[in-house]
Amino acid sequence: MIEVRPMLTYEERMKLLHDKKVQHTFEKRKQQGYTDADDYGTVPVPEEYHFEPVAYSIEGGLYGAMVNALNFAAIMDAHPVYVDPLEIMCGRWRKMLTEYRERSATGTWNKAKYPYDELVPWHKKYGIVCGIGSDSHCAPDFTIGLELGFGGLLEKIARYKEINPGHDEFYDAERICVEAIQRTIDRHVEEIKHQLETEERPELRETLEMMLHANENIRDKAPQTFLEACQWMCWYNVATRIYDRDGAGCQLDVILLPYYERDVAAGILSDDLARFILADLMLIETHYYQISGVDENDRDQTNKLSYLILEAAHWLNSSANVTVRMHPNVDREFLKKAVSYLFIDKMAWPRFCGDNGLVDGFMKNRGVDKATARSRIAVGCNWMAVPGREFPMNDCVKINIAKVFEVAYDEMMAENAEPSTRDLMDRFSKHLKLAVEKTAEGISFHLAHQHDVMPELIINLMMQDTIEKGEDITQCAQVKTVGLDGAGLAVVADSFAALEQRVETDKVLTWDKVYEAVKSDFTCEDGERIRMMLQSSPRYCGGDTIADQWARRITDVWSDYVTNQPMEADRQLIPGWFSWSNTIMFGEMVGATPNGRHAHKPISHGANPNPGFRKDGAVTAQANGIARVQPGYGNTAPLQLEFDPRMSMEEGGLDRVLDILEAHVNMGGTLININILDGKKLMEANENPDLHPDLVVRVTGFTAYFISLSPEFRQLVVDRFLDGM
Amino acid sequence: MENGYDITGRLVSIQRCSVHDGPGIRTTVFVKGCQLDCAWCHNPESIAFEEEEFFYPEKCIHCGKCAEGCYAGAREKCGREMSVSQVMEEVLQDRPYYGDEGGITISGGEPLCQAEFTGALLDACRSEGISTGMESNLCVPETLIKDVLPKLDMLMADCKFWSPELHEKWTGRSNVSIIKNFAAAAAAGVPIIMRTPVIGGINDDEDEIGKIAEFAASLPTLKYYELLAYHPLGVGKAEALGKKQERFSTPSGEKMKRLAEIAAGCGIEVLINSKRYTND
Repeated sequence: MIEVRPMLTYEERMKLLHDKKVQHTFEKRKQQGYTDADDYGTVPVPEEYHFEPVAYSIEGGLYGAMVNALNFAAIMDAHPVYVDPLEIMCGRWRKMLTEYRERSATGTWNKAKYPYDELVPWHKKYGIVCGIGSDSHCAPDFTIGLELGFGGLLEKIARYKEINPGHDEFYDAERICVEAIQRTIDRHVEEIKHQLETEERPELRETLEMMLHANENIRDKAPQTFLEACQWMCWYNVATRIYDRDGAGCQLDVILLPYYERDVAAGILSDDLARFILADLMLIETHYYQISGVDENDRDQTNKLSYLILEAAHWLNSSANVTVRMHPNVDREFLKKAVSYLFIDKMAWPRFCGDNGLVDGFMKNRGVDKATARSRIAVGCNWMAVPGREFPMNDCVKINIAKVFEVAYDEMMAENAEPSTRDLMDRFSKHLKLAVEKTAEGISFHLAHQHDVMPELIINLMMQDTIEKGEDITQCAQVKTVGLDGAGLAVVADSFAALEQRVETDKVLTWDKVYEAVKSDFTCEDGERIRMMLQSSPRYCGGDTIADQWARRITDVWSDYVTNQPMEADRQLIPGWFSWSNTIMFGEMVGATPNGRHAHKPISHGANPNPGFRKDGAVTAQANGIARVQPGYGNTAPLQLEFDPRMSMEEGGLDRVLDILEAHVNMGGTLININILDGKKLMEANENPDLHPDLVVRVTGFTAYFISLSPEFRQLVVDRFLDGM
Repeated sequence: MENGYDITGRLVSIQRCSVHDGPGIRTTVFVKGCQLDCAWCHNPESIAFEEEEFFYPEKCIHCGKCAEGCYAGAREKCGREMSVSQVMEEVLQDRPYYGDEGGITISGGEPLCQAEFTGALLDACRSEGISTGMESNLCVPETLIKDVLPKLDMLMADCKFWSPELHEKWTGRSNVSIIKNFAAAAAAGVPIIMRTPVIGGINDDEDEIGKIAEFAASLPTLKYYELLAYHPLGVGKAEALGKKQERFSTPSGEKMKRLAEIAAGCGIEVLINSKRYTND
């Protein structure tokens, strides 16, 4: 009796792969514990895996081009092959070299060679995340790699090595990295052949054959087909993750369009197959992609692939880092479809970025034209970058302005017998300026030495002028902008407003009484009542309140200091408001604050208001408030929203959500992250995450499986959700 | 101030980004005071015209300083005088979100119990190009409704019972003028959203809903007819006001669907709790 099994459709295969990914998440949590970070698409580490760095610099760490290249090659070689016949492409990663850099005796930064002890006290004083030793956080130009292929990249490296004598270590390191990627492809080709010997299912044999040919073709040559282009991107993405966690993708619907159109015209690609390939691309690696938006002439660039990417992410039904670029010229029906997937999948994708605010803002920087500003795409947690031309360090450098406020407040109360919010603002501004200066020193220091500490060997392959000049991208970026985020805006704005309202306007509290209460963490006599008086003052995002005015005043000062900070090498700092997942760590640095926040509790999230900002929780008030504190130079101050899933089922629900998004970006809003959370499911998962291993939430700019978050982070998401209901 | 901007009304609250008081994103102005006294009212704080106070004992921090003002949210005043100008300041903040369908909804309470204020606020919105809506019980003299109809882009109103006797028993007034005013609104060309709060054991009657739906179908400007299942939100709020409100039963989902099916049989579009009813 022969068993006749029905052929698996592509969609069914993706469902099986989704289930396998959920199982992997369980296993990864067992192996890694809570990660409080992106779900990178990694697969569990097999027991037999073993890797130890094969080379160290004389100072003891993994420093320098050759040391990093040799270790990259070794960790690539150590990675077991991963070929799943359910898929149509292969390659997956498990461990990144960054872990081993951090674990080495001297850490990620070569402090022996490049000490910065004089900056450390400033970092502590102002709660500065200095960015020294940070990596990636820029956007590779995928057209470079896709046009050359790995073989072409090797030829380019060899050619420029001849042209630029004296850069041998750099070029040899780049060559070693590309060859390591090729060897990894070779091992996978052998594994695919091996699986073909035993695979019986015809539909799986067919795609294994396609996988084999694609990998054989792209080992040396530039990809020619849609499948080859996507498989090539998988390999690059896996390699760049392993090297240093880089997760920047590209404008996916535009980059892949020529391959799609060519294959469709040739009759070798159906939309069903394209959807499957795209879903597999997003399964293999969770890189950040932008879709839709307009071209440099303001023409809608939404195309068939934009839709297919949304549909593919829906098939995957997991965390997909897809950002939809909004512009008045983009077809509203496409935007509505994008919004609908927020509600259908409830996986916190896609998110939305606002073209007008980003482009108009970025063009305010020196020498930036519209074409450059438009090409700056959303490829990271909260950030944008110009592919191939910018090394913005976005999301790597932050100042905890709640800490800066605390320094100013303590100083005023110690020195001034007649305190005032005016004096406090003067002192806050003075310290903020100093914090920006010291942060800028750190950035310049980092960029002066990073090429010698940890050059971006994989990203360099797809940047402009790197291979051509024999320089690391940290040395030769054409666009000179560097991002600097402030965190804790709502805490500071609400603190100023509470002091103004209760001490100066209502006169129901005195400066001394408030200070005593704050310093005792509200445990002094009447402490809780004082806390309530402060907390019930008008809040930021309350609807053009005095706290909203303070937030705008603080933003103006912040933007002024950051953008006018002199920098070496003609660089420019550009301001943003973003905390990433540092809200807990930043909160731990700061005692109680006059907005009624208890000591060492988390600071406010990104540009969002504090919980309870308004009795009706009006999203429109929040969206207005955040639109008006955009620092305005092309970096983001994100609006983070939580919606009830029932909203989509209500008459006109999706249109209402889109009305909110459009209004926010029309007012200059730059980035919108949205969670659609089923309250019951979230509460159950908070009690016992294992009950809902497939629950994905957007934590800050990144999405993560709820199960992988620590209890503190889970609570942050729950609190925000309760506030939004 | 010109054009009635200084006319004041007594309000319960202004809810921004409202999604349940008409189409699109809306700003809902809840006025205080209503001539009906529906036994299940979910906004019992909007019935009395006078200022009131909520008391939430669970929020009390026992500071013993109630007389100096409560900041803990345990004692909360309900009712404030606001001028049209002040209301417009808040409304205008929501304007960017109205899109093609949204706008203001004056609700309550009964907006026409403060007809001068309501009229002036509607005028102010119209002059700003903001779409206007009113949620009224329509239990007012016809002259009052006729004055306001030309200022409305949308009218939401309940038809709680078809039987005048039952209406009077449960709300304190007959529905005769309500029925007439529905017809007047339709005659004036104002789009109408008719709603029925369905209260278990009180009006969840197929015959009653059928008659209401038949009437709804006779209104040429009906946008849709919505059935709203009773919820006991008013019970807790009444208690916080020191009043007592009877708790009714919520009709089952099956029951709501059956009533919607009957209503839809009259050839009208029917919603259940904001969601479009379809019989598949």
